[in-house]
Amino acid sequence: MLSKLREKLRLLSDYNKLAHIEKIARRYFVMNSFDGVLAILGILVGSLIAGAPAALVVSTGIAAGIAMGVSGIWGAYLTERAERQKEIRDLERATLTKLKATQIERAAKAAVVIIALVDGIAPLAAALIVLMPFLILRPFLALQQIYYLSIGIAFAALFMLGVFLGNLSRENIIKMGLIMILAGLASVGLSYILLGTVVA
Amino acid sequence: MGTVRLMVLDVLKPHEPSILDLSKKIAGVPGVANVDITIMSVDRKVETAKITIEGTDFSYDKIQKIINDYGATVKSIDRVVTGKRTVIG
Repeated sequence: MLSKLREKLRLLSDYNKLAHIEKIARRYFVMNSFDGVLAILGILVGSLIAGAPAALVVSTGIAAGIAMGVSGIWGAYLTERAERQKEIRDLERATLTKLKATQIERAAKAAVVIIALVDGIAPLAAALIVLMPFLILRPFLALQQIYYLSIGIAFAALFMLGVFLGNLSRENIIKMGLIMILAGLASVGLSYILLGTVVA
Repeated sequence: MGTVRLMVLDVLKPHEPSILDLSKKIAGVPGVANVDITIMSVDRKVETAKITIEGTDFSYDKIQKIINDYGATVKSIDRVVTGKRTVIG
């Protein structure tokens, strides 16, 4: 059992080296988590301005998360597959050999699936994390408090994504976190300005 | 009958896997004692490598399978040493 797992991990590490899975998956993870958090933040702010009930926020938020998830999986699968097939064709031409059923082809196929999953799961997971107060704290807190808590979590998630990126690029993590928060503030601010005139 | 003790292959390979990884894979073939890979030339997508394999009675088919599995091709077998003892470097 343990040796089988070790074998799978070794294979995955081999695929990772051949197809650079980690690098691309990480990029998709950050981009789509960011998208997920900002989209749900938008839903939260819009709902707060309109005075929407919790059930509406939860159903809209989760449906949006699922839509982003499906879009992520589909989009990444098709784009990544096309790119990888082109790469393999180019490599076949350069090495004068067929790469069907080789480790290179298997690694490319694994890369497509893993990257598509990361691309789809990241925004859905981000949406669920931000909506967590609506999902579990509804019986304990007032609606207004839940709204603010969710918005707070969204900003914390943005900060963490910045920290993750800062850690990666060995830059100032606080600065990167704050840059991410700035995106959230811009989104919330614009919503307030534009919706304030429309809704009021 | 003597066994194959040394073989030099001229191989065209993609940049990935690195020669470090490829040498480890070839060294895992039964009978292989040493693997020496030297990059002879580098192109945009491929590189040419001289692979020297030393050992006792290793299977060329197994080595070729590993090389092909990683997207590389053996262009030619440039040298083979067969015998009861290794006397040639």
